[in-house]
Amino acid sequence: MKIFIDGKEIEASEGASVLDAALEAGVFIPHLCSHPDLEAKGGCRLCSVEIEGMEGAHPACKTEVTEGMKITVNGPEAEKVRKTAMELILATHPADCTGCPKYGKCELQSMYQYMGVSPERWRKKSRAVPNDESNPLISHLFTRCVRCGRCIRACQEMRGVKILDYIKTGAGIRAGVPDGKSLAEAGCRFCGACIEVCPTGSIMDAFNLMKPERTYEENVVPCRSTCPAHIDIPEYIRAIKEGNFDKAAAIIREKVPFPETLGSVCTRNCESNCKRGELNSPVSICRLKRAAATVESGAWKERVRKDPATGKKVAVIGAGPSGLTGAYYLAKKGHDVTVFEKNAKAGGQCRYGIPAYRLPDELLDREISTILEAGFELKTSEAVEEPSKLLDEGYDAVLVSIGTHQGTKLPIDGNDLEGVYVNADFLKAAREGNPLPVGEKVMVLGGGNVAYDCARTAIRQGAKEVHIACLENLQQMTSSEDERKEGEEEGVILHAAHSFLRITGDTKATGVELQKVNKFYFDENRKAIIELEEGSNQIIDVDNVIFAVGQKPSGTEKMGVELTHGPYIAAKDHATSVEGIFASGDVVTGTRSVIEAIAGGREAAIAIDKYLGGDGDISEVLTDREAPEKYIGRVEGFAGLERTEAEIMSADKRKCGFDAIEKPLTCEQAKCEAGRCLQCDLRTTISKVKLWNEY
Amino acid sequence: MKQLNADVIVVAAGLSGLAASIAAAENGASVITFEKSSTTGGAANMGMGPLGVGSRIQREHMISLTPGEAFRKHMYFTHYKVDARMVRDYYFKSGDTIDWLMDMGVEFVGVQRAFSAPEATRAYSDGEFTWHVVKPEDGGMPGPRCATAMTKKMTERAKDLGVDFQFETPVKKIIMEDGAAVGVIAVDKNGEEIEARANAVIICTGGFGDNPEMIKEQTEFEYGNTIYNFAIPGMKGEGIKMAWEAGAGKEPCIMELMYQLPDNMNHFILDGAFRQPCLWVNRNGQRFMPEDQIANTTFTGNAIAAQPGKVAYAIFDSKLLKKYKKKGPDIVSHVHPHDLFDHFDEQWERDLADGYEPIAQADTIEELAEKAGIDVEGLVAQIEEYNEMCEAGYDEIFEKDRAYMQPIEKAPFYLCRENVGAYGSLGGVKINHKTQVLTQDAKVIPGLYCAGTDACNIFGDSYPFILSGNTMGFCLNSGRIAGENASAGSEDFDDFE
Repeated sequence: MKIFIDGKEIEASEGASVLDAALEAGVFIPHLCSHPDLEAKGGCRLCSVEIEGMEGAHPACKTEVTEGMKITVNGPEAEKVRKTAMELILATHPADCTGCPKYGKCELQSMYQYMGVSPERWRKKSRAVPNDESNPLISHLFTRCVRCGRCIRACQEMRGVKILDYIKTGAGIRAGVPDGKSLAEAGCRFCGACIEVCPTGSIMDAFNLMKPERTYEENVVPCRSTCPAHIDIPEYIRAIKEGNFDKAAAIIREKVPFPETLGSVCTRNCESNCKRGELNSPVSICRLKRAAATVESGAWKERVRKDPATGKKVAVIGAGPSGLTGAYYLAKKGHDVTVFEKNAKAGGQCRYGIPAYRLPDELLDREISTILEAGFELKTSEAVEEPSKLLDEGYDAVLVSIGTHQGTKLPIDGNDLEGVYVNADFLKAAREGNPLPVGEKVMVLGGGNVAYDCARTAIRQGAKEVHIACLENLQQMTSSEDERKEGEEEGVILHAAHSFLRITGDTKATGVELQKVNKFYFDENRKAIIELEEGSNQIIDVDNVIFAVGQKPSGTEKMGVELTHGPYIAAKDHATSVEGIFASGDVVTGTRSVIEAIAGGREAAIAIDKYLGGDGDISEVLTDREAPEKYIGRVEGFAGLERTEAEIMSADKRKCGFDAIEKPLTCEQAKCEAGRCLQCDLRTTISKVKLWNEY
Repeated sequence: MKQLNADVIVVAAGLSGLAASIAAAENGASVITFEKSSTTGGAANMGMGPLGVGSRIQREHMISLTPGEAFRKHMYFTHYKVDARMVRDYYFKSGDTIDWLMDMGVEFVGVQRAFSAPEATRAYSDGEFTWHVVKPEDGGMPGPRCATAMTKKMTERAKDLGVDFQFETPVKKIIMEDGAAVGVIAVDKNGEEIEARANAVIICTGGFGDNPEMIKEQTEFEYGNTIYNFAIPGMKGEGIKMAWEAGAGKEPCIMELMYQLPDNMNHFILDGAFRQPCLWVNRNGQRFMPEDQIANTTFTGNAIAAQPGKVAYAIFDSKLLKKYKKKGPDIVSHVHPHDLFDHFDEQWERDLADGYEPIAQADTIEELAEKAGIDVEGLVAQIEEYNEMCEAGYDEIFEKDRAYMQPIEKAPFYLCRENVGAYGSLGGVKINHKTQVLTQDAKVIPGLYCAGTDACNIFGDSYPFILSGNTMGFCLNSGRIAGENASAGSEDFDDFE
């Protein structure tokens, strides 16, 4: 139907409000309490308009359009109502905005700028309400509340959580949680809808959660943004909660081809950024991934990308997580891919670096065979030393992803004695079934997860007394808390904050001399500063010493590409200094994590596809997405729901062999754990309000 | 990466950015203005109005100050330590800029001076009538934030001229090629990078009042310790850093000093209540200035900054409090409520109960000094001397106005610590009078301009309150100068296309 606003003809749809019709047509009418996703209440009166044939001013948000309706936005009656309304709103709002983090993004400020209401009548009346920043996620700064009720409608009607309401205080009515309850006590779901719709800075994300270097959405959904592969974590967790494990697996597989591996050994950036962790402990995002991967039926396979053959040939050197991921996506893009692997089996560090008790062979075999279904050739026990030769042989591009398989020793006395090993050799030998012999007592040098892998492997090989010594103190150590706890249960003796001065012995290692470290840090030039405690030297008698102080690539110096920081390949957007040769994974980044290697493999596939004339689009949609349920309801005690941990074999049993030590979460456990998710992504679907300067 | 092109790129849409955008667009240039927040106006939304000399309104009100006189006053105030040509061009343009704004539809209530010195000291520190206070659109009385009516009109004018505002899209880097600025890299709200190219880039990001790290690096102050400045959200100093990174020369950065209480907005009643010509001492218990000057926030801010620990303490007794309650305060600023003392008890009791750290109340001077961390003997001796002078009716030390010589004698005694405050930072990027950015050895960096607070190097060491409205005045006029120069030749380019 047609209506007229200030004489301008506008097309409006039946049943629409005057406000919505005007905004839709690009005509701005001031408004504050109305929000595109919330039912209009007509409370703020800023949208008052005059309508021909009707007396007085009427809120545009509550007035339905009728055919031929003639509307005047700035008539004298409407202006008077609007101005008074704005004055009343501003009467109790703090006049000085300089301390408000919403400055510049505040709807009230924008509205004030638009309306230019004289401040003189209201600037002295602000009512102070103590800030409530006790909740680690949501801050209540109700001195700034203008009683528009948006948060209340969002909480009550949009979400069905129903904990925010108007409350009466000595200083007047404002929004809040009734009965003086905290958000947690009231059963808040921490969905953040209230923050999203608040036009002022009254309800805000806790200040320290909003990192200035990230975009708004990255801050709001930190699990997804800090995952190197940007797996749509909230979405797959929602699918698990609904019991749809196939859907969850498909969502994970849209970004990574190794869900079960990741679900077992991922470094879990997501969990350390999970907002749930601020309330009690993070959602078990990693183990939920494993749960989905172990029970899914493979329904996603029907939807996988398989582009027509391009006739281009790509060689991948190294069948670790990065190389296989690169090959997987390049094959999907229609390229003819061959992967060359030096070792007898594919898997890279997952196969030869991570102990079998964390990542069993069967699991890897299963996952790699699924990857191979993408249609590429894998040639094992075939080393390639010079990638350029492959170009000469007719390959159009080469991806080098050979990882960092060479362990390093520190330059201390005795480092070449018999019985001294390095991490990579020691762990690989164990995985290959030809373990390096260990005596009764073993000392591992290093404080990362690999040190624990070595120590726990030594225990499983029969060592009776296993030590770990590292420079870092407990806070500085890079190993995960879980590793340290499990290692301790298995009998690992930790000497944190100790320097290793030398390995004793004439021909064979007999011990390690340690000295206590008082301070260890890196100065501004990244130079390590170590302050030792005098007179704290001790020699610990051992039969074997294993260096676990880092790994590096080997053989890169012969590859003919530019290197950096010693043996690492220099790559910009994964392209090396030689045209047609690309690189990804640890060999570029230094020893990192499986997930980063996979993310690197994806990016390298994009770069190579583009280099070969493709569009670089490797995205896949492996399942249908429905809009998530907005009406999430209240869950009593939601904030306190405890994290479900997977079942772990007892320490006595696990010491005896290399069997997998952790069971996947059962479906019931997984569904229950998934129910703890805050669904931080829900609020990103709430419409953004357009300010006057965008019309 | 998204690609955009224009004749002129403006970095940020605060007052100087708006002025630059409009001026460039009026010159026929196509303009893209990147703004990291969702609204225009930046810090100017908190202000009340700019300086102008020789405007239509001033002539109508028979205010006879000429741009030349203003120039002389300014140079006298700054001891000729600043770029005279820049100052000259600024003042000579400032009257026309007011008319320019009025032609856009901006209305002014009239012309004011922000500071009028007490009679006896007028010769040394009186303000001129240069402050054009913006009239709220509804015609009501002006107050803090009324300058939004101006930023709105300017936004509308810019949009009418076709300026392309990119909101929530901060600029991250200036693209330099062969020593010239040729564009910027920006990131939109979805995290997508934008490469925008132009003949000229104008930086207008408003200083670093909200960047404690930069305050520490660039000035003598430490935020939250020796200074409690307005940290207007978003004033992070990115523009200054980007300019320096692009090779701009450095000018000393200063803080635009005044004084206030820590977290003053939550203790606003006390902020106003203690801003009285009662007894002011430093940490040693000694007076350090004639208290009749404390309404001069620039001088008082400077004076506090010169005291040990950069703090001062305002003290009154019960008798004086009773007088303030009954007859009103001796001094009322234009930002504090007139009925301050009606609300004093409520706020005082609450803040005492909450342990608000800058305040103290005691029944003896010794106890008061101890609570506040002032030298006890020093304060006792000072108050003795001061009370004697009050009795005699004459301040032998500073010749403070006799009307304010009221003794501190009746318990309980009230004290409030006064800290150095600031409106924000000033200066940093070296420019010439055309606002072209210069290298350290004064060579022009082609294509790069900087205006507003980032480049406000003309105040010397202190805000020139004698010519009020100066911060916004410089933003507007330097922005306008930048827009005009950056777009010079744009029409010629259009002819070729």
